[in-house]
Amino acid sequence: MNMLDVTTGATAVAMAAIQLVIFVAFAPLLTATIRRTKARLQSRRGPGLLQPYRDLAKWWGKAPLESNASGPVARHAPAVVLACILAAGLLVPFAAGRAPLGAWGDLFVVVGLLAAARFALALAALDTGSAFGGMGSSRDVAISALAEPGLVLALAGVALAAGSSDLGVMSMFGLSQGIGLLGPAHLLAAAAFAIVIVAETGHQPVDNPDTHLELTMVHEGMLLEASGRSLATLVFASEFKLVVLATVFSAAFLPFGAATEFAPAPILLGLVVGLVKLFVVGQVLALLDGSVAKMRILGLPDLLGLASLLALTGLAMQVLLP
Amino acid sequence: MFAALDPSVGAALIPALFVATAMAFGLAALSAAIARVACFSPVLATAGGVLAAAAGVGLVVGAGTATASGGQVLGLTPMALHYDGLSGAFLIALGLSSAAASLSVVGEKPRSRLEGIAYPLFLMSILMVLGASNAFAFLLAWESMALLSAVLVFGLRPSRAVVSAGNLYLAMTHVATAAILVGFALLAWATGSLDFAAWHIAVPSIAPVTRDAALLLTLIGFATKAGAFPLHIWLPRAHPVAPSHVSAVMSGVMIKTGIYGLVRIGVDVMGGGPDWLGLLVLALGGISAVMGVLYALMQHDLKRLLAFHSIENIGIILIGVGSAMLLQAHGATQLAALALAAALFHSINHAAFKTLLFLGAGAVVHATGLRDLNRLGGLARKMPVTALAFGIGAAAISGLPPLNGFASEWLTFQALLGAAGTVAISPALRFAAAATIGALALTTALAVACFVKATGVTFLGLPRSSAASTAHEATKPERAAMALLAFACVALGLGAGPAASALLTVSRSVIRVDQAAASLPAVTSGPRTGDVASYAALAIGLLLIVAIGFVALLVRSRRAARRVDTWTCGIAPKAAFQYTATSYAKPIRLFFRRILLPEREIRVEYHEGTHFPASIRYRSEITLILEDRVFGPTHALSLRAANFARRLQGGAIQLYIAYSVLAVFILLLWAR
Repeated sequence: MNMLDVTTGATAVAMAAIQLVIFVAFAPLLTATIRRTKARLQSRRGPGLLQPYRDLAKWWGKAPLESNASGPVARHAPAVVLACILAAGLLVPFAAGRAPLGAWGDLFVVVGLLAAARFALALAALDTGSAFGGMGSSRDVAISALAEPGLVLALAGVALAAGSSDLGVMSMFGLSQGIGLLGPAHLLAAAAFAIVIVAETGHQPVDNPDTHLELTMVHEGMLLEASGRSLATLVFASEFKLVVLATVFSAAFLPFGAATEFAPAPILLGLVVGLVKLFVVGQVLALLDGSVAKMRILGLPDLLGLASLLALTGLAMQVLLP
Repeated sequence: MFAALDPSVGAALIPALFVATAMAFGLAALSAAIARVACFSPVLATAGGVLAAAAGVGLVVGAGTATASGGQVLGLTPMALHYDGLSGAFLIALGLSSAAASLSVVGEKPRSRLEGIAYPLFLMSILMVLGASNAFAFLLAWESMALLSAVLVFGLRPSRAVVSAGNLYLAMTHVATAAILVGFALLAWATGSLDFAAWHIAVPSIAPVTRDAALLLTLIGFATKAGAFPLHIWLPRAHPVAPSHVSAVMSGVMIKTGIYGLVRIGVDVMGGGPDWLGLLVLALGGISAVMGVLYALMQHDLKRLLAFHSIENIGIILIGVGSAMLLQAHGATQLAALALAAALFHSINHAAFKTLLFLGAGAVVHATGLRDLNRLGGLARKMPVTALAFGIGAAAISGLPPLNGFASEWLTFQALLGAAGTVAISPALRFAAAATIGALALTTALAVACFVKATGVTFLGLPRSSAASTAHEATKPERAAMALLAFACVALGLGAGPAASALLTVSRSVIRVDQAAASLPAVTSGPRTGDVASYAALAIGLLLIVAIGFVALLVRSRRAARRVDTWTCGIAPKAAFQYTATSYAKPIRLFFRRILLPEREIRVEYHEGTHFPASIRYRSEITLILEDRVFGPTHALSLRAANFARRLQGGAIQLYIAYSVLAVFILLLWAR
């Protein structure tokens, strides 16, 4: 079997289940490795690699607290947030050049699902009537608005080269190109996307994932009123989102190592390579966290505008230079 | 059941539906004129809307046509109607929007009898615009629509602000009509006919200069009516002052007639213009989309915010139309059909969610008497149905899957990507299409921000005023209308596959290309095979529903939630601690400060001799760059010029005789 066109029916469901299980199992670990490296950079020992799992288990067992001001939106938003991000995770190729549910939607659907998750979370943060919720929510949607053009343009560049916005086609195109894929336009787009990942997952210099200093919070501000299983769900969703975005990055920009045929050995290899790539992306983020200071929020248009410009330059090279 | 119908029966049904629609609107106007039966008027208008939507669906799905023409007046045919698939797409928008808007006022007295009569006639005039098959009939219907909508904006006893908004609207709409009139006159002069069909046949014989001039003039007219960016200034002022159900139809449908006209004349009748025209429309679309949503974000008047959002959505639609024109001009006709289908789909979708949001805003205004977001809050508790419906509309307009707005924006993205990738057009134009992808991405992300703000600040958190804390739920008809539209948003989202493919068929016949499927990116229901990008709307929708249900079950704790106060650093929570609409938009206001040119003023008064503030006043405003920096000064300059010219009018008869003599003298000199 050549291309992985067999990803329909039972095979798709099986692949989806496997991908989901792996992502769910490894998402907290990825966060743990980032924290570990960051701690080492700060000359601390840092918590063990199982700490995110312990945190989730702890919150899972706690009785929920609900604000007097909040209603159904705050109660049900965590489920919507996680469901959208989980669904997005199934549309991204990981171990193979094709995503389990790749025939269901393309890169714009992935972007749309992440936007839906952001919408639900930002709305829930306003439901509790907290100033910190409003602060986090308003900053998060503003930063995402700045990041979105870079995100979409970077992926559009690869889609243009591959001839389709289907992430599977883009990934297979990259695999067929080999090392020749890494032309200047491609690298510019990859750089743009890397900046966007930093902003979208709330790492330095855009946001500090570990801060609880009230006036500087972005993502944490939105979670401040969440508790119990809601908090666990939202924290897990943000860990999962990092996995999804990092996988989109590797599928679109560095697909090397993914299986191009549907057989156990290449798939297994693709799985291992995929996990290694996730780990590497995480380590880069950890390096940033440990070495770069947080920017003033007013500096963000420059950083994220740079991402859009890089992506646009890449596109210009692709379209204008024959 | 309908599939089993004989096609000829279906074809005969469509004209009957039109007669019924027109009769329903006519009877609605008539009954509004008679006090004893005035209460039936909204019911009849609702029926008219339903019939119009049914006729539209028939035209789009059946791809049939309906034609009617009436008597001649002075050699002109004022009643020449021809409805085809393109009309059908906009009829669906008209039907959905007007049915729901009319339903929402069932059982309510209009502000005045005049308004009761004008409203159904306004709907009727839109019906006529969408079918007019010659220039005379079109302009007649177009001008009726403009005047009737102006009547609805003014109302019977307008305040000063309303008069000012209404006058601006009247002036701008007449600029539009004048431009279209001159454009049509050029075409009539070049072809010797007023008939659109005759124009289409004669296109090759029209001199390019005449054709381009006519296209440009009609574009100015239609873009003004649509509210595209530099010509939009009337829209955010006129829409909010009308009653909410009228604002809903104006925003949901009336501005779409500008799009309809542009597609009808530019794409259908003239078969596409030069490529700079397509590029111009694309640029207008991109600028309208970004500027519309940026200005919408800065508003804290709910209805004004929604009006600015119409500019954004018109921008998204124009991006589709512009790409279609660009691609059509270079012979990439299949892609052009895809782009046009995106525009048509977004037109229908926008009618659904914008009408819904305006009706929601109307319900909020009824319940609280407030339009200022900064004094609302916590309304979800008092008006849950309105809040849920508004939330669905907000998610749909923000372009979130699996709702309808996402499906049409997905198609627009695909059209742009197709245009950027095709070798049919020049590299510079391809780059323009690629850059527009970025503008569209920015727009959708800002729309998310804007509607989180509008929904959250209005319905969630704590009430910011006593009016907001004593609000009541919307009336039954209002709730029914909103539920209908929310259902439409979901249905058009999950059923986007069949809807988009029917509209693609329509677009292909408008552009006159092969119906046989080229492998275009498509919205489908289930997973597709092959490499072409697709969005399986129904499958993704079901996946999300299952996933949300599953996670929600999992998350639900067995233990009851304990109620606590929101953490406010140890003080008792107050509504004033919450972010307001103004503060919510602050990061974006600062990020885009070079475009928005914000000003702020903080005035603090202290208690005598202390550093404790007694009162703090905060004012924050943005500069509407076009109004304040271009139109305002131009207006002032023209007033000054007029004042200066007044000096010529001395009032003495001798002076006027002297002018006459001077004029004659100059004429004689010139004629020598």
